[in-house]
Amino acid sequence: MKNDMKKTCIFQDTEKTENTADLLEVAQRIYGQGQFESYAVLLADSCDGLQGAFDHIIQVAQGLVNAYDPRGICDILENLHKKHTFDSILIPGTSMGQMIAPRLSKRLRTGLAAGVIDINRQKDHVDIIRPACSGKIRESVLLTGNGPVMMSIRPNAFAYTPGTPLQTVVTSYTEPVRSPGAVKRLHVKENQQTCDIRDSEVLIAGGGGVKESFAELYRLADALKGTVAASRKLVDQGIAPRSIQVGQSGKTVSPKLYMALGIHGSMQHLAGLRQIASLISVNTSINAPVCSLSDIVVQGDARKFIDRLLKKIAVYRS
Amino acid sequence: MNPDDVCALAFALGVKAADPDCVVEVVSLGPLSVRPHMEDLLRLAVDRGTLISDPVFEGSDTLVTSEILGRYIATRPFDCLLTGSRSLDGGTGHVPVQLAETLGLDQMSGIIRIDPHQFDSTRAVFDVADEKSVTTYEMAMPCVLSVTRESGYKLPYVTLTNMRRDVSDELVIITNQDLGFSETRVGPAGSLTQVVHRCPKTYEKKDRHIVGIDEKGISFVFHFLQQKGFL
Repeated sequence: MKNDMKKTCIFQDTEKTENTADLLEVAQRIYGQGQFESYAVLLADSCDGLQGAFDHIIQVAQGLVNAYDPRGICDILENLHKKHTFDSILIPGTSMGQMIAPRLSKRLRTGLAAGVIDINRQKDHVDIIRPACSGKIRESVLLTGNGPVMMSIRPNAFAYTPGTPLQTVVTSYTEPVRSPGAVKRLHVKENQQTCDIRDSEVLIAGGGGVKESFAELYRLADALKGTVAASRKLVDQGIAPRSIQVGQSGKTVSPKLYMALGIHGSMQHLAGLRQIASLISVNTSINAPVCSLSDIVVQGDARKFIDRLLKKIAVYRS
Repeated sequence: MNPDDVCALAFALGVKAADPDCVVEVVSLGPLSVRPHMEDLLRLAVDRGTLISDPVFEGSDTLVTSEILGRYIATRPFDCLLTGSRSLDGGTGHVPVQLAETLGLDQMSGIIRIDPHQFDSTRAVFDVADEKSVTTYEMAMPCVLSVTRESGYKLPYVTLTNMRRDVSDELVIITNQDLGFSETRVGPAGSLTQVVHRCPKTYEKKDRHIVGIDEKGISFVFHFLQQKGFL
């Protein structure tokens, strides 16, 4: 390794572990390809999929800290930073990551860019971009302080393309946690929703225009082997669960097909759409903002559209 | 007030309604213009309202905000700090976490329910919703519990008597004279996260095909789905 190599630490949350390598794309955008040494810090006992992508994998010994204890996890990351003096620490913007990153930035007294969605490397600096004002604004953030560059990364905002495999060194972290949190997990009740909308290639999304007929969307989703998603309007009205909400305060999705039924397309909703290959909107108004981003705009009632398209599909399949 | 903050306060007032010995204090950092809103809260049976306000605090980032709040709160007796999880615009949710770190406390965000029967000066039992599950935790007091709007806790109505009550003398205003921060440690000068540029988000418009829901329109969509391999 070159002496001037930058060191980047990437924390792997136990939620969405398969997205850990995507944070390497963030490091590449900051430092350039091959210009940094990467460290993955894992709570999981398996490092499948990360071997060859990272220079170092640090596995936290089992039983050392609970995956739901942000205070204990911060102890470990703080200790690792003291040992390795990272130039950057990248944390996924998951629910747990959002409790770890601010705590760690306070401990290290360094700036933190939250929910980063883009990085633009300039000649003499790096633009760190995050959404603000419910996604209506893009802010370029400057981090100061003596500590490492710290960011929490919005899930699905970056995609990493593997290059030449690296010789990964796997080590174990065994130092006892100095100040574990006084928190106990008593009970876990799994949700009925099994499919994460971020993993679906086809999303059938409903908004205020289908609040009376939201259940119909599931029929169309079944026919297209897709998943149902919703805008915030339906979530706030209690019609759809928050786990399927697309947008600034929901999830960022990148399906191959996004069908927006009765969705107006506020800036907050559009902030959750990223790299969508095909977008079909069904709306009574062709002037709804989502329509201007669509490949096809179907003007009319979404319920009738579902009925007629399903009939057409049924005839085709029979 | 942000909806999450409203729920946190509503839960606290619910505890107070069941236990008259419980004391609820609302603390806010902001300009003096929020004074009328704070006074409205005092009319809702809040025991003490504290507004931390000083021009030198304006423009503070979340870390500095948490340090300002933390310095005041450390002088107050409390069993539990209740906060919202996030601000209305889907903000970062950093302040409760960094406040907890400033005070050396545990903290949990995303709380959708706190068990009122297991909420006392020693511990709290509460539910947190995430992507795949609802998890019940127990946390030792004192701690910071950050509630979401999904909790559905509602503020009580103001009684007519309280609505007319003059509470202007009951609101405590705290300035930097009380907290003693160096001016280089607060505001933009002390903030380690600075916004250097802002621009509205723009989207690239597509060459769209506009169709109706008649046979021709449905066929167009059907063939599009077929061509793209979705059927």
